Amino acid sequence: MARIPTAELSRYLLNGQLTRRGCLRLRKYPLVPPISPSRRAFSASPSTPPPPEPPVIPLRKQLKDQAKAAKLSGAPHNKKNKKNTDNQTVPGWDLTVGIEIHAQLNTPHKLFSPASTPSAGEDAIPPNTRVAPFDLAIPGSQPLFQPTTLIPAIRAALALNCEIQPISRFDRKHYFHWDQPAGYQITQYYHPFARSGSVTLLPRDGIAPDDGPSVEIGIKQVQMEQDTAKTLAQPNSTHYLDFNRVGVPLVEMITEPCIHRPATAAAFVRKVQMLLKSVDACTSGMEQGGLRADVNVSVKREGETRLGTRTEIKNLSSFKAVEDAIIAERDRQIAVLEAGGKIEGETRGWSLGSTETRRLRGKEGEVDYRYMPDPDLGPVVIGEDLVERLGGTMGTLPDEEVEVLMRAYGLSERDAMALMQMEGRMEYFYGVLEELERMLGVTASKEGEQKHAILAANWCLHELGKLAEAEEVVVDNAGVEVLDASSRVPEQDLAAILFYLHQKNITAKVAKDLMWDVFRGTVVTGGVTEQIESQDLWYKEISEEQYIAIADEVIEGQEKVLQDFIRFKQGKSKAYPQGKLGFLVGKMMRAGPEQGKGMDPASAERVMRARIEEVYIPRSEGVE
Amino acid sequence: MLSRPGLRSPRLRNVSLSPQRRLLNHFITHPAEPIPPPPSSSPSPKTFTLAVKDNIATTSPTLPTTCASAILSKSYTSPIEATIITQLRARGAVITGKTNLDEFGMGSHSIYSHYGPVSQDNPLQTSAGGSSGGSAVAVANGEVELALGTDTGGSVRLPAAYTGIIGYKPSYGMISRYGVIPYANSLDTVGFLSREISPIKELIVGERGLWKEHDSNDPTSLTEPARKRCAAQRKGYHGQGHAGELKGLKFGIPLEYNIAELDPQIRDAWAAAAKRLQDAGARIVPVSLPTTKHALAAYYIIAPAEASSNLAKYDGIRYGVRDTHASSDAAAGGVLYASTRGKGFGEEVKRRILLGSYTLSSEAMNNYFIKAQRVRRLVRRDFNRVFALDNPLQERETFELSDLPEEVEMEDKWGPEEVDFLLCPTAPTLAPKMKEVMEQQPVDAYMNDVFTVPASLAGLPAISIPMRVTAEGAAGLQLIGQYWDDARLLDVADAVGTELRTSRA
Repeated sequence: MARIPTAELSRYLLNGQLTRRGCLRLRKYPLVPPISPSRRAFSASPSTPPPPEPPVIPLRKQLKDQAKAAKLSGAPHNKKNKKNTDNQTVPGWDLTVGIEIHAQLNTPHKLFSPASTPSAGEDAIPPNTRVAPFDLAIPGSQPLFQPTTLIPAIRAALALNCEIQPISRFDRKHYFHWDQPAGYQITQYYHPFARSGSVTLLPRDGIAPDDGPSVEIGIKQVQMEQDTAKTLAQPNSTHYLDFNRVGVPLVEMITEPCIHRPATAAAFVRKVQMLLKSVDACTSGMEQGGLRADVNVSVKREGETRLGTRTEIKNLSSFKAVEDAIIAERDRQIAVLEAGGKIEGETRGWSLGSTETRRLRGKEGEVDYRYMPDPDLGPVVIGEDLVERLGGTMGTLPDEEVEVLMRAYGLSERDAMALMQMEGRMEYFYGVLEELERMLGVTASKEGEQKHAILAANWCLHELGKLAEAEEVVVDNAGVEVLDASSRVPEQDLAAILFYLHQKNITAKVAKDLMWDVFRGTVVTGGVTEQIESQDLWYKEISEEQYIAIADEVIEGQEKVLQDFIRFKQGKSKAYPQGKLGFLVGKMMRAGPEQGKGMDPASAERVMRARIEEVYIPRSEGVE
Repeated sequence: MLSRPGLRSPRLRNVSLSPQRRLLNHFITHPAEPIPPPPSSSPSPKTFTLAVKDNIATTSPTLPTTCASAILSKSYTSPIEATIITQLRARGAVITGKTNLDEFGMGSHSIYSHYGPVSQDNPLQTSAGGSSGGSAVAVANGEVELALGTDTGGSVRLPAAYTGIIGYKPSYGMISRYGVIPYANSLDTVGFLSREISPIKELIVGERGLWKEHDSNDPTSLTEPARKRCAAQRKGYHGQGHAGELKGLKFGIPLEYNIAELDPQIRDAWAAAAKRLQDAGARIVPVSLPTTKHALAAYYIIAPAEASSNLAKYDGIRYGVRDTHASSDAAAGGVLYASTRGKGFGEEVKRRILLGSYTLSSEAMNNYFIKAQRVRRLVRRDFNRVFALDNPLQERETFELSDLPEEVEMEDKWGPEEVDFLLCPTAPTLAPKMKEVMEQQPVDAYMNDVFTVPASLAGLPAISIPMRVTAEGAAGLQLIGQYWDDARLLDVADAVGTELRTSRA
């Protein structure tokens, strides 16, 4: 399916009632980061039990654990707590990083069997119900390449500016682990389907300032491969295996070793996620487990030409982990080298919240994967026409979309990026904006009128954000916790609230209260106007005379405050006593009917200021 | 001499069937009730009895699929039915049982079986050949009309030669391998064993000819358009009548097959057969297949490499037998698979897994596996050079005439004469004694495949038909055809067989 720019889509579809199930939506069945294959095989030595499969830890729990770990370490002032932004380079040392990212492709079938993939958004799929004989490695069954997997795969590669190879092949990568029923994973080792790509990173993507106005990250290759089974650990050293995920198609993207700043590495992973999402190539983002990264880290002394020995850190599952792990590993390597030691080529691990990488296995524990071309599978031949067609229908890529948000709608770069990166939030913003413009009868891009668009963006990002922070657990009909506030506030309701706010028919406070009511479900969908009506929340501004009366009432007995204004008037103080004015306005708002109902702080300020200028200062000067 | 030469080997003449079964050990599973074909739409096909090599998946609860391995054993009943079984049952096959073999098809004498060795006579005197030895004995004994085998490097042709029957290996990609438990995918083919060619011919090129049927479950099964394209360049597929006229046919005698190890009796029989065909109006042309001497080595690198990969799936977890003894299993802190695989696989299988694991290892890959693949390409090129027909799956190549041995006569300035079929022995020796076989070094046994392996590496159709030898003993005469020339190969083999039988020296 071609990607239609979101703005166009939401305009086209009735009332913006477009499903917001973007590809990075919450998955209930995250892709388990499989432990590194070689580690599995290595650990299976007679004396040690095989490593337990790391259970899938929801991000929230990870964050909690992280906080706990920080608390336990009880050393808030140690140097590791140095902010990352100040820690991008180490004088005298050069850092080199290469990244491998795995992402689950958004396809209806497995890579080599017609079994359907257990996709996001579906209710609990019973274990072992999405398996074809081949997925279980039933003797005599054969792989059947599903050509539909090529569509998201090629899109992903095109989004990374890769050259699609007309002929690619599948190889077997051998290792023993129970989550890999065939004893090998089918991947593209010798002839990947895409090569020589690049991704451009800008400051707004979060690259380190030292990297200048932009960095280009080279992509060495992109390959298709199979996912593994899921292990469910049970008590008494029992492991249950769920083969639903075996053979689900993944793409692996491998960069050149061309990244030199930790923040830039994290920015790259974030950008890849954004790119994959924008071309609808993957099922879910990093935080839902649909994406994971391995990083290769090496350091060398400044001026040396040869790269240092590299270590690999496996299975990083958040952007922060990518940056933190690189910093920790860089610092460890530098410390070893400075102490006269040697870096061993080894595989290391990282857990969220820790301050050091840990050794998983060294070179001696490495498994020889014995790559062999799969004798059952012919080459994959990708026609130029297909590549052209997919390339021509990919639609707007993120960088362009950000430009549109900034240019046409007047959003700040920061807000535009935030909308791009928050799951489904941009689609939501366009939905709200569409409805709002319909009610206002204006279009931002046409009339050069951007105020309402900025208002909408503000609310979609910041006010909605407050709902999420409120930590009120909301459960949907199916009993599943709703994490995204936007799904609890229908676009049309927010648009209605913003419409009245923009027209000054309600106050900002009323608008916020209304949003909470909608969020909590005390206002039914489409019932915003009715709610305002029945609760008499309309903003009916009091008359000028009433403002004056309140101002006079408030200023009574405030001679001391008035002195400040007089001193300013007489040039005795340089700054206008804005704070004092605010104090008086605040008193006005409280003194007004029903705590300021029907009062506009701006009007109150205007009246108060005028009264001071025109009445009270002359009066007290007269007294003097 | 023989009363029915070619249909029964001399050693089998005096065998009385029933008491021998147990001793010949050619069936692994032999249910009391044969499995009838599924009820079919009218008209019901004529039924025939079929024995199935036990590395071909059957789903009947009374027919487990063991591959003659302890790691599967009779506890494993396949959830999938091999396409060839479905196809043959729809054509009236009554399955009488599953036959013994070398474990997973790895062997040349059917002695490496968890269920004990097969022999073609009692008590365990003469090798039945392998790895489809059980199927060959079932046919030679007259117990079934047809048997299925698998041929990876000669596993159907060799036992056919030793037991004096017909063994046919079709072109790679013609018969679906779905449900055929792989030993080496790029070489494996389903093979057919019978005492006569006609039932095989009927199945392959008859009205419901298997040659036409693509199987979407097997990615290496030729697509329908490819089948039609190939057949359009061949005779015998579209009812052009009998294509087996010997007169005017050219048979190539590969010079490199006249090896020192060739039993003189077989060499004589081969020469006599060639003479007979010449007398019948065929032309006999010496040809050169220079890569032959490397073919066997290449085969024993490629096949074990693929085997080591294919057999990685047997871990006893999802199916088959698992060794759960405390110290051996992961739960108790042991290695999850080591004991299961150590106990489940036999000696020869382990040998080939180790061999394959080594040749695929990063340090040996370039020196062995990659080189073997190159040899394989050269073997194919050798064949394409000698056959008059082009290989429909490959571009035409040009050859250096200077590469040819001097004995090869030039037909004209373009090169030597091109041939229709190659004529050679199936095996360099007569069926050996079991005692010798058991005492052989494993590598010596690999020698038996020297004449059968090249056709397997090139994916070509080949057939072994019985050939008289001067002494008491069966031998096979092998005919190899160009790719997808199966229809004509079967016709010509039939004609050659008739010629050899009817002629009396």
